[in-house]
Amino acid sequence: MIITRKALDRRTFLRGVGTAVALPFLDSMVPALALANTVKKPPVRMAFVYVPNGMDMRNWNLNYEGKLGELPRILKPLEPYKDDIIHFGNLTHNGGRALLDGAGDHGRCCASYLTGIQPRKTLVDIKAGVSFDQIVANQIGNQTRFPSLELGLEDARQAGDCDSGYSCAYTNNLAWKSETQPLPPILDPRVLFERMFGNGVAMSPEARARKSKYRRSILDFVTSDTARLESDLGPSDRRKLDEYLSSIRAVEMQLEKAEKDNAQIDPHMDKPYGVPADFAEHFQLMSDMMTIAFQADLTRIITFLVTHEGTSRAYREIGIADGHHPLTHHRNDPVLMEKVAQINSYQLRQFAGWIEKMKATKEGDSTLLENCMIVYGAALADGNRHSHEDLPTIMVGRGGSHFKSGRRIVSRKETPMCNLFLTMMDRMGVHTEHFGDSTGRLDGLDLA
Amino acid sequence: MQLFDQGKPPLGVLLDCDMGSTIGDPLALALLYGLEGKGEARVISVSIGNSNLNAAAYVDAVMRFYSSAPKTGPFAGFSRSLPVGLGGGKKLNDSPLFTEPLSKNNADGSPLYTRVVHSLSDTAEVSALFRNALTSQYDGNCVVVLSGPATNLAKALDLPGVKELISRKTRLLCVAGGTYPDGPPDFNFQTDVAAAKKLFAEWPATIVALGSETAAQLKFPAASIEKDFAWSPAHPIVDAYRAYRAMPYDAPAGNMAAALYAVHPQEGYFKVSNPGTIAVSDDGSTRFTPSSAGRHRYLIFDPAQEEKLSAAFTNLASAKPTVRAPRVTK
Repeated sequence: MIITRKALDRRTFLRGVGTAVALPFLDSMVPALALANTVKKPPVRMAFVYVPNGMDMRNWNLNYEGKLGELPRILKPLEPYKDDIIHFGNLTHNGGRALLDGAGDHGRCCASYLTGIQPRKTLVDIKAGVSFDQIVANQIGNQTRFPSLELGLEDARQAGDCDSGYSCAYTNNLAWKSETQPLPPILDPRVLFERMFGNGVAMSPEARARKSKYRRSILDFVTSDTARLESDLGPSDRRKLDEYLSSIRAVEMQLEKAEKDNAQIDPHMDKPYGVPADFAEHFQLMSDMMTIAFQADLTRIITFLVTHEGTSRAYREIGIADGHHPLTHHRNDPVLMEKVAQINSYQLRQFAGWIEKMKATKEGDSTLLENCMIVYGAALADGNRHSHEDLPTIMVGRGGSHFKSGRRIVSRKETPMCNLFLTMMDRMGVHTEHFGDSTGRLDGLDLA
Repeated sequence: MQLFDQGKPPLGVLLDCDMGSTIGDPLALALLYGLEGKGEARVISVSIGNSNLNAAAYVDAVMRFYSSAPKTGPFAGFSRSLPVGLGGGKKLNDSPLFTEPLSKNNADGSPLYTRVVHSLSDTAEVSALFRNALTSQYDGNCVVVLSGPATNLAKALDLPGVKELISRKTRLLCVAGGTYPDGPPDFNFQTDVAAAKKLFAEWPATIVALGSETAAQLKFPAASIEKDFAWSPAHPIVDAYRAYRAMPYDAPAGNMAAALYAVHPQEGYFKVSNPGTIAVSDDGSTRFTPSSAGRHRYLIFDPAQEEKLSAAFTNLASAKPTVRAPRVTK
């Protein structure tokens, strides 16, 4: 028997005018005669989903170690994915503490979250450290179209005083390219979409308007490439491709709807053109694109600043008109604490929606989620006390079937969060002995 | 308002001890809290060299006993309960010194001495605890006291940046151990000879040692236990003291002396040797070599100070916890 079929290149794109659509992992990308142990595994990806102002720890924490039982109230939406979760205890960010710099926990905690460094207290000559996602991006980023993606949902200033003498650059960014250069998150889903499927440069408003006028999908631009590819694919891959392109189209349609709604709601609203007015819709749009970005291996690193640290955003959609940050200074008032718990739960529900999609997305013999390490958490534990120890942290996904999940790992007190980062860097193929204030790899992260 | 606009807080003390092998460590901890009550020191880190969880639970109980007084003023922010550092050193068998106090209950069955250490994850990783405590101190405003094996401190020296932190933040390390200018092997140094060698060779700041020849001259009187602690119907130091050995007995006070000297070196409690270098031999013995460039010294017993020292030991160790006065803004 002669087998002539050549494997499809993992870096194949569907191309059209100003358009480049990367492909998901397809069976055809595996060489026909590859032995099981030589088949290239899907890459490991990592994401950080950051929520501000701490957490209602009464409804987050667990009082045991080992196998996860019933999840606490805030984490309830993740119950169906419990076996994919590692729930961490006692991870600490010393760099978020005052350390003689006085007030400003919100500024410090966000800037130190991925850098492990206490930022300089200043409004002008900002200085933190290179965040660990960027260290990884510097090493492996050349393997994907985008070394990393920085995303967010809330417009925020990059300058000025956002917390007791700490620059807004500290509260409003997670990723730091250098000690002095934060990477502001993309907030506008349209900008992200065009960056992901365009030629790498965001369209001008005029060009976007022209395109919108003719209501053309990016998929229309790649029709001939798509047809050519489909003719070479088996039924299973054709179905995968169809599902994938449908998901892109669904995102496009959501974008169009958001843009239409924005125009109707208030033409003067202070939001970028493509940003949905609704928080949940905005979260879903961004997370749908995060799924596609991982699925098509456009990037392996995403940081997602859900809302910025210290935000006073109100969540009227769930009946909470008070600002988030003022609520967290509840002075143990049970009514206010309940509202904080509701906000925490609401944000987590959106996250669970993303996890559902990641879990449902097949990749090779497993799922996209299985090949990811998605950390969800905050850089403060109790927002009322501004505590920097026992930070609310979970990891969803097992980093390529690597970690034993479905359990809670409680480290020794004062264990640096950077120990977890060091372990994650290993999984991303970037090995170093120290990062931030790490004291070693995280103990107890047993292999699956 | 930033803290650096205000006066410095009292001297921070990091105690690394071997809780359980002698009654000297509970007494040293009590003395430090006595100094804290007077506003002359702050206990900012306590860690244990051995790996006995009950020893850590006892330290936690003692710290909570002394920290139960309400805190007010600008220092309130520092009063978060400190975790106890528990090292991975030699396994120490349970000692009645800590098991007896821990076994005592109130009438309702609840523990007489509240503690939260029940498992390893209730204790702190020592290197991180030690390093983190240093990072929050003003330059030159803390001291380190070692009254156990050198394991924990030697390990901390390996963390990036810690030597620089020690140089900048600490005034001195006072070590209760060894014999000077030379003498037989020291029990604590024998426990981890490599760590002891590393500590004396690499510690980047001043070390003052209080050797066995000086410690042998210092006693904490049993009579103090009988009368000076009566202000509390139950006291974890008293219970440890009584459980450690049949009463009455006078306890060795070398560890207390090291803690006292570290906080008040200027008080003239001891004579101090000329500078030199302390080296640890393979058998755990120590030798002091005079050298004008040396960073080490050792303490010499001064009989004229015996009464003053004894009064300081008893007054400070038996002191009632007090509410800290608000710090005065300059």
